[in-house]
Amino acid sequence: MNCSDESTYGNKADIISTVEFNHTGELLATGDKGGRVVIFQREQESKNQVHRRGEYNVYSTFQSHEPEFDYLKSLEIEEKINKIRWLPQQNAAYFLLSTNDKTVKLWKVSERDKRPEGYNLKDEEGRLRDPATITTLRVPVLRPMDLMVEATPRRVFANAHTYHINSISVNSDYETYMSADDLRINLWNFEITNQSFNIVDIKPANMEELTEVITAAEFHPHHCNTFVYSSSKGTIRLCDMRASALCDRHTKFFEEPEDPSNRSFFSEIISSISDVKFSHSGRYIMTRDYLTVKVWDLNMENRPIETYQVHDYLRSKLCSLYENDCIFDKFECVWNGSDSVIMTGSYNNFFRMFDRNTKRDVTLEASRENSKPRAILKPRKVCVGGKRRKDEISVDSLDFSKKILHTAWHPSENIIAVAATNNLYIFQDKVN
Amino acid sequence: MEVQKEAQRIMTLSVWKMYHSRMQRGGLRLHRSLQLSLVMRSARELYLSAKVDAHESEPPLPPAPSPDPHLHPPREAHAAAEAAAPDGEQPFPEPMDTQEAPRAEETPARCAPRPAKVSRKRRSSSLSDSGDAGLVPSKKARLEEAAAEEGFSSELRDRLQPPPAQAEGAFPNLARVLQRRFSGLLNCTPAAPPTAPPACEAKPACRPADSMLNVLVRAVVAF
Repeated sequence: MNCSDESTYGNKADIISTVEFNHTGELLATGDKGGRVVIFQREQESKNQVHRRGEYNVYSTFQSHEPEFDYLKSLEIEEKINKIRWLPQQNAAYFLLSTNDKTVKLWKVSERDKRPEGYNLKDEEGRLRDPATITTLRVPVLRPMDLMVEATPRRVFANAHTYHINSISVNSDYETYMSADDLRINLWNFEITNQSFNIVDIKPANMEELTEVITAAEFHPHHCNTFVYSSSKGTIRLCDMRASALCDRHTKFFEEPEDPSNRSFFSEIISSISDVKFSHSGRYIMTRDYLTVKVWDLNMENRPIETYQVHDYLRSKLCSLYENDCIFDKFECVWNGSDSVIMTGSYNNFFRMFDRNTKRDVTLEASRENSKPRAILKPRKVCVGGKRRKDEISVDSLDFSKKILHTAWHPSENIIAVAATNNLYIFQDKVN
Repeated sequence: MEVQKEAQRIMTLSVWKMYHSRMQRGGLRLHRSLQLSLVMRSARELYLSAKVDAHESEPPLPPAPSPDPHLHPPREAHAAAEAAAPDGEQPFPEPMDTQEAPRAEETPARCAPRPAKVSRKRRSSSLSDSGDAGLVPSKKARLEEAAAEEGFSSELRDRLQPPPAQAEGAFPNLARVLQRRFSGLLNCTPAAPPTAPPACEAKPACRPADSMLNVLVRAVVAF
């Protein structure tokens, strides 16, 4: 198995760890291992440049989290941004939540394009004038200046998680959000930083009896009382916060019975769900485990309605993937705006899209060679043994250090963002 | 035999990964530890059931000589491991850091007792809050590990007898099921991945598998 170390070609801190469009798709935020957030903004389409369909340019860059040290446990807290979630826009400023393993922060990103000028209490260099020399009153006036985008931390939600935060999700009421770690989920109010409500706690009394952990959680897109969380055992629980304060008892429990013919040594760990996402309609949930993506109907708990094989050719390679730690990779999955297509990443910088209606799927590659502007992505194919055709790539030639864990889909258009280690690729649908 | 060796290799690898994960930035990750312990448990079951099968398939020997083949090599190798262990702290961080394949076999034998020391240090520096208990092994498991470390040679002979007996009762059916299912495991030969630790080429380190098993049992319990 090929394992060229892509990260040695760039700084490890530049490895992108999360990608998220905002609700209009105008902004695209990325977080990286170094704790930085970079926000891209789509260019307004101008009448002059019809061919330049809105491209994304850097809008703002800021350091969201710094490495910290927990003195009590002698542990370093990584600054890596695990998740970014946007709040819907309510005024001229943009708000987003970003989180590392322990602390969630609310950032305000705002533009400044005017500045006050004409102070008469200070001179040009900013030094205070001698009051005796001031004889008139002058009100400063706002004059235009070069656009400046500033990001300020408005809230810091800290010290609420013993374990590592894996998810955050903004509620549809826009007043609360939740943060989930391995064993607990907390509900926060945006205005209150020194308190949070614990709504799920699966920590056993005796830690030696621990058998499963929470791997992802998300609020329902429309019902502010409903949320789901996934587990390392491949199950999903749907909870209703109206039922009780502590949602330890689920309202619905989604689990597919194990296929005995697929059982293997590593069955347990490849069934762990790495991501769970509600469809935009709120009728379905999509889960990603190591080899498949599944779509579940909220009204049917005993099995998914659709199962898509992402890279089943890896099933016979699980042993090697355990050795090089790839079996622990946490892939994410996304819906397109109309919930008709789902997308997820794979290795060798491949990513896969599945059309739920036509049942067609495609494998594409995010690489510099293939991504000249306006080039059309060519579908790729992995050959699983036997004769390899000309354009196919064999399983053993796949580069497992080039993994696409994070992708995002524009909320209404066919624009996707794909994070390949420390590179971000943005692909748009061809315009006629 | 193949199955046994493979299971042993996976157990070794898992212990190594488990130790290494403690050294990572960000500290011990609960999910990762859980997954590693699951694999280790499966490997242990596979190893024990393969051992049972190996015993069953051997021609019947008189009782006296039969324990010897198992006892002698582990005792020799154990002496070697014990001699290696007092090397002390100095060489220890390096094998972990360089991740050299040959060392991967040796260090787990030493590293399993290590976490006991490391975790004890960490434990004393933190409040005995139940919230923190999840990040370090429980006190009970740690004391057992310490006991295992000290009473190695004396326990060795005791331990060798019970596991087959236990395996006898619990595993015959499981062994058959596991062996049927693990053709995939056998096909994953270590020949292909260059980074894999050599499959039991380092014989002395491999041999005290049974004594390592004791420590592994405790490591699984602890996690």
